[in-house]
Amino acid sequence: MNGRRLPKRHGKQRTWPAFWVFVGPFAIGLVLFTFVPIVWSAVLSFFDAHNTVTPSTFVGLDNYVDMLTNPDFLHSLLTFTVFAAFIVPTTVAIALGLALLVHRLRFAKAFFRSVFFLPAACSYVVAALIWKLSVFNGVRFGLANTVLGLFGVDQVPWLSSASPPWYWVALVTLRLWLQVGFYMILFLAGLQRIPTDLYEAAYVDGAKPGWQVFRHITFPQLRATTVAVVLLNLIAAYQAFDEFYNLMASARGYPPFARPPLVYLYFTALGSGQDFGHGSAGAVILALLIAIVTVLQAKLFGFGRRED
Amino acid sequence: MDGPHAVGYTRTARGRVGAVARYTALGVAALLFLLPFYLIVRNGLASEADITAPSWTFFPTSIHWSNVTELFRDPSVPMARALGNSAVVSVVQTVGQVALSSMAGYGLARIPFRYANVVLGAIVATLMIPAAVTFVPTFVVVSSLGWVSTLRGLIIPGLFSGFTAFLFRQYFLSFPKELEEAARVDGLGYWGAYWRIVVPNSLGFFAAIGVITFLGAWNAFLWPLVIGQDESSWTVQVALSSFLTGQTINLHELFVAAAVAILPLLLVFVFLQRYLVQGVAESGIKG
Amino acid sequence: MVKPSGYARRSVLRGAAGIAVAGALATACGSNTGRGSSGGDGPTIKQWYHQYGEAGVEQAVKRYAKAYPKADVQVQWTAGDYDTKLATSLLGKDGPDVFEQSVARVDQLKAKQLVDLTDVFGDAKDDFTPAVLDAQTVDGKIYGVPQAIDMQMLFYRKSWLEKAGVAVPTTLDELVAAAKKLTNKKVKGLFLGNDGGAGVLGAVPLWSIGQNYLTDDQKKVGFDAAGAAPVFATLRKLYTSGSLLLGAPADWSDPSAFTQGLTAMQWSGLWAVPVVQKALGSDFGVVAWPKGDAKGAPSVPIGAYGSTVNAKSGNVDAAKAYVKWLWIDKTDYQQDFDLSYGFHIPARKSIAAKADKLKSGAGADAVKLVQQYGKVQATPGWTATMNTAYTDALNNIIRKGSNPSAELKTAITKINKELTTLYK
Repeated sequence: MNGRRLPKRHGKQRTWPAFWVFVGPFAIGLVLFTFVPIVWSAVLSFFDAHNTVTPSTFVGLDNYVDMLTNPDFLHSLLTFTVFAAFIVPTTVAIALGLALLVHRLRFAKAFFRSVFFLPAACSYVVAALIWKLSVFNGVRFGLANTVLGLFGVDQVPWLSSASPPWYWVALVTLRLWLQVGFYMILFLAGLQRIPTDLYEAAYVDGAKPGWQVFRHITFPQLRATTVAVVLLNLIAAYQAFDEFYNLMASARGYPPFARPPLVYLYFTALGSGQDFGHGSAGAVILALLIAIVTVLQAKLFGFGRRED
Repeated sequence: MDGPHAVGYTRTARGRVGAVARYTALGVAALLFLLPFYLIVRNGLASEADITAPSWTFFPTSIHWSNVTELFRDPSVPMARALGNSAVVSVVQTVGQVALSSMAGYGLARIPFRYANVVLGAIVATLMIPAAVTFVPTFVVVSSLGWVSTLRGLIIPGLFSGFTAFLFRQYFLSFPKELEEAARVDGLGYWGAYWRIVVPNSLGFFAAIGVITFLGAWNAFLWPLVIGQDESSWTVQVALSSFLTGQTINLHELFVAAAVAILPLLLVFVFLQRYLVQGVAESGIKG
Repeated sequence: MVKPSGYARRSVLRGAAGIAVAGALATACGSNTGRGSSGGDGPTIKQWYHQYGEAGVEQAVKRYAKAYPKADVQVQWTAGDYDTKLATSLLGKDGPDVFEQSVARVDQLKAKQLVDLTDVFGDAKDDFTPAVLDAQTVDGKIYGVPQAIDMQMLFYRKSWLEKAGVAVPTTLDELVAAAKKLTNKKVKGLFLGNDGGAGVLGAVPLWSIGQNYLTDDQKKVGFDAAGAAPVFATLRKLYTSGSLLLGAPADWSDPSAFTQGLTAMQWSGLWAVPVVQKALGSDFGVVAWPKGDAKGAPSVPIGAYGSTVNAKSGNVDAAKAYVKWLWIDKTDYQQDFDLSYGFHIPARKSIAAKADKLKSGAGADAVKLVQQYGKVQATPGWTATMNTAYTDALNNIIRKGSNPSAELKTAITKINKELTTLYK
């Protein structure tokens, strides 16, 4: 392994002080701001912690039972699942498509790459601002309604209406716009790593450029990248908060639909309810779910094995 | 960067048709991707009456640069202060996180210690739990330190990223050992070797991680929202959000504010895109 | 460029009672830390206000704080989601010593967050409007000194109603019909907020049929699913009728949809009167929310922030003394606070008698509405959890089209659960 020769040279020297000089400051912070919160949260999840973070009423597993039977929390998990089931494959498909198109360009390649990547400069807040006030507002001067108006369609209250749930149009397009370019960059990096001779060999064997080459060479070579993109995307979707909050919340709080888990927890624990017991139990459940999904996916797709 | 298989491919007639189709498709997509930026500019430079007019105008009838000064003079919109907060938070967080994580990464990769694997395991374990899920408990800790609505509260909890430390460790594992050993021969300890040899020879990687960290810090929303309870500790994102979900201001001012909020990152995109792309690739693939 | 008149600055705020305040805002906050500190000796008292929309309020309250001789009072002017921020800060040790809130909630008392202020009132108690004092009273003890009263009402464009041959609606059915008649290609009939009223109306639909959130003793649910379902079904019908304005950039508390001519009628509040007056002159009127059925009455929600002392404060006695000084003794400051900045109704009858702005026009109409129909929405027993359960039901009924009586039953179950925890 690494450093096998160094200990020999410094055989008699103690190296642990040096180790802690380098790792210590970071480790202290990590303990204080990651491990302590996790443990504290786990403790709170077993207490009735309304309006307090130093509770005294032990309630055992009640908070967990409540959360797992709470239709609102379960519904937020469902909301996430539906959202992820759509956004993950769509993002992968569009990002890969753009990457393939851009990768082969001889001319203006950098331009297109920059244009598709540029939305990543916007925060979800800025994007939500544009979407809510200019693209998908419900009145006559919204862009979407202006375009529909050309076809004689009436004003659509995009973010107000829950049946049909037009708000998904805004939520999904926003996230796609913002993140597709980011994943495209990952795919471009993956494409660059594919050895040229693989293609040359394929052409010599008579493979036609296009679907055949993509199916048998490009896509298999991109396997690790694709798995990484799916995983990153899934975790990002799991943590969706910013655009939901900014598009859907009003001064009166948040509606009972389009409410992903983090939004639900935010309002449970830090809203005027201040219920840290249930909020912590929910956070623990979420963390476990994410850990399970990550491990499962790693097992299923062999994530971590590099393509080289 | 050149697509290897593109060579000798567009020479045929079919290939030429394909190229036209490809450029057309990309052109249309590019227009769609740029549309929101157009809206920022259009609404930011328009008068309120232009924006709310019953029929769409492609570009404001007269351009109102005064919207910019209006925004910064508007006492009900703490934009200047929010920009200052965002700048301080992002810069300190970037520098701090890169410094702390790179040192930790170096220690883990290079300095022998019997329990190094235990420490590494603990760090990797935190990667399983996204920071966003722990915002409730972290808030509890930070509030009991009395750091709510302070810059400390905004910055410090974000300095310790297990992920960044892990990236640095991976990077240092592949750093050529010979360079360091030469330094040792010259009598430098780990500390000297790190700062005089390792860091100066890794600036590209540091820049890549730094740029991507800056991007994340500038655009962060959930944590600043939770911790920035007093207007004096709002970041740009929280300020924008508060006008979006509660208070309202004039539309044209709000779009100028949006432009101001993305300007620093647009500069990063223009001048540091190489590092940004590398940073995305590094953090994406190794993550 | 010509700026639409009266449209300069707005900020929208809210309180637990669901009273939002908006108006011209040109305060100096944001230019510094937002803290004003007095030069007084003695202990330091931290005082929180939510952000008032009217220009000058922030400077005024800082001026009062500075004038207090017995303590160094630091004012924090809190923009954004005040209720949440307040609730969070009351947990920790960094919370305010003195703060304002529109209702003293029983769950706060259970968590021992509030100080009994009954003894600071003295003889002045009878001078306060009973309805807003009740919101601060639990089991005969008073936990907050009411400051200024806000209220909500329906604005309508007189000339447009005349042109369409529509009378000012007095029943919910008439309101629905009027909204429909007033709607055309460019203008919608009615604006109840971007969620179709699910957020702002609160208890109003219940009042309009003679029911309420809770019974008067605050210990039982005050509405029944079967009886209340029809009025919510009507709101759903209104939502889908195409005559409601939805998705406007500014929400209900901001009169700009009304002044820009996007809607013929809008639910908003007293604070909007100056802006509307400036934009439309006398071409508008105000009216109560119409009654829902024969049993009901027209409804006008009111609420008042009250000055409250944090039980976790290290200086409870000093904080109490300060509250007494400012909100009981210094009637000249109270009058300045109530009447010099925008439209409020003073919480004290003796000061209300001096309110000249409220003696004519829409202001006078509003006062009349309050006297006839004014009712406080959030009462001490109505906790955040109950409100969430109820508002969720409203959202589901109005925006999603869920079955009204089933949704209301779900809400009742959740509220009962909370009641059981509170009073077990």
